[in-house]
Amino acid sequence: MRVGFHEALDQLEASLQEEGSLVLRVLRGAVTALVGHDLELADEVIAFDDEVDSRYFAIEEGIQDLLARQTPVATDLRLVLAVLHINLHLERMADYCVTIAKLVKLAPDVAGDPTLVEGFQDMGARAEEMIELAMDAFAKRDLAEAESLVELDELIDRANRRVVQHVLSLGSDPKLQEWGLRMMIVSRCLERIGDHAVDVGERVAYLVTGEFREFTDASR
Amino acid sequence: MSAAERIPGVEVRHDAPSESALREVVFDVEGLTVAYGGKPALSGVSLEVYKNFVTAFIGPSGCGKSTFIRCFNRMNDLIPSATVDGTILYHGEDLYGREVDPVEVRRLIGMVFQKPNPFPKSIYDNVAFGPRVLGLKDGLDDRVRHALEQAALWDEVKSRLKESALSLSGGQQQRLCIARALAVEPEVILMDEPASALDPISTTRIEDLMDELKREYTIVIVTHNMQQAARVADMTAFFSVEVDENRDARTGILVEYDVTTKIFTNPSDQRTEDYVTGRFG
Repeated sequence: MRVGFHEALDQLEASLQEEGSLVLRVLRGAVTALVGHDLELADEVIAFDDEVDSRYFAIEEGIQDLLARQTPVATDLRLVLAVLHINLHLERMADYCVTIAKLVKLAPDVAGDPTLVEGFQDMGARAEEMIELAMDAFAKRDLAEAESLVELDELIDRANRRVVQHVLSLGSDPKLQEWGLRMMIVSRCLERIGDHAVDVGERVAYLVTGEFREFTDASR
Repeated sequence: MSAAERIPGVEVRHDAPSESALREVVFDVEGLTVAYGGKPALSGVSLEVYKNFVTAFIGPSGCGKSTFIRCFNRMNDLIPSATVDGTILYHGEDLYGREVDPVEVRRLIGMVFQKPNPFPKSIYDNVAFGPRVLGLKDGLDDRVRHALEQAALWDEVKSRLKESALSLSGGQQQRLCIARALAVEPEVILMDEPASALDPISTTRIEDLMDELKREYTIVIVTHNMQQAARVADMTAFFSVEVDENRDARTGILVEYDVTTKIFTNPSDQRTEDYVTGRFG
């Protein structure tokens, strides 16, 4: 038995799950800062990204070490490759949360459209759910659960498309218009987090089946 | 999908499967069982070896992989207690047919062993020995040179062909043994752990050589080194040991045979998975 190697692999996977938890915290923080226009919390979210980044680099270093010294094959190889990709997806999700936090600080302090703000709360909750689901599917090697992410993502995509209509109906107040433009980017960030969660699901599917495929065809 | 259909570079149309679209089969093994003194060492093996491929046999000690490779040039004939059942067709001809001359078989199907075993003669004579025995005396110098070039040894020995082969390094001796096998123009080269006694640089040279040689020859290799199989082989067969505790018997079996990439990324059988990932034993 290659005990040391498999322990290292287990640790790498545990570390990735912890990174997933960090991303959930940073997402929750970003959406809360947005809804409450909490600039202090927004700063905390921005600073918290360093935590995610250090975890990201530690995992990458662990992968480098395993590839250089252990030559993983079969399931082990697929797991290492899945961890490599999921690590990057999680890091990107955290970056989108930082962008949301920065937009909270940039957006003018106006009473925005409450419908839109409520919508972001929903989108944030949905994105959280997707990340939890993706990481759970990864932990359980559950193909069906991974594939179920596509439907959830469709809900976020629809919400994102509705944001444009809302922003166009905000009226002619320049401050409100600026707020609306910033919020379109927020919406886009949440939507992209959902996409990355689907990508994590695709990596789970690869890990389980050994086949490279996208769940949905983006060109359709 | 059969193993052959997944071979890289071979397109198989599923609506109209065509024999000619498949790679040429050199050996077709069916239900092969080898026993020593009545005890089966290897049981019920069926597989095809394809032309101009490197085919690797991997598996734990005692799985019968060396026993198996020795069947391809009838080396087991030399062991009185060995019996071989089942069939090995070589280009459709029964390799163990009564009219088949084992000496001719061993010319067409050469073998390189784990430990380099040059004769205590000159470098030249080592390579010239086989052709001389077969009466291939015309153009012997060219034949020796060509074999040494093919074995990537010529540049290192061209100025000292009359020196003893035993003066060469281990890696050079192994390439000399490969040259010796090539000098009689075989079609297949069997290699039983050809690099296990060599240092990493000599090992790399042998592996590079296999990649070159497969253009002209079909290569079958037994290796303990899984990564070597992953590096050099087009097809890989995983053998394992089946233990019958009631009869205190251990028999080698073929577990899985597939395209090497498949074996090392997504094997079909859990036993292969356990072995290649080191979860075995």
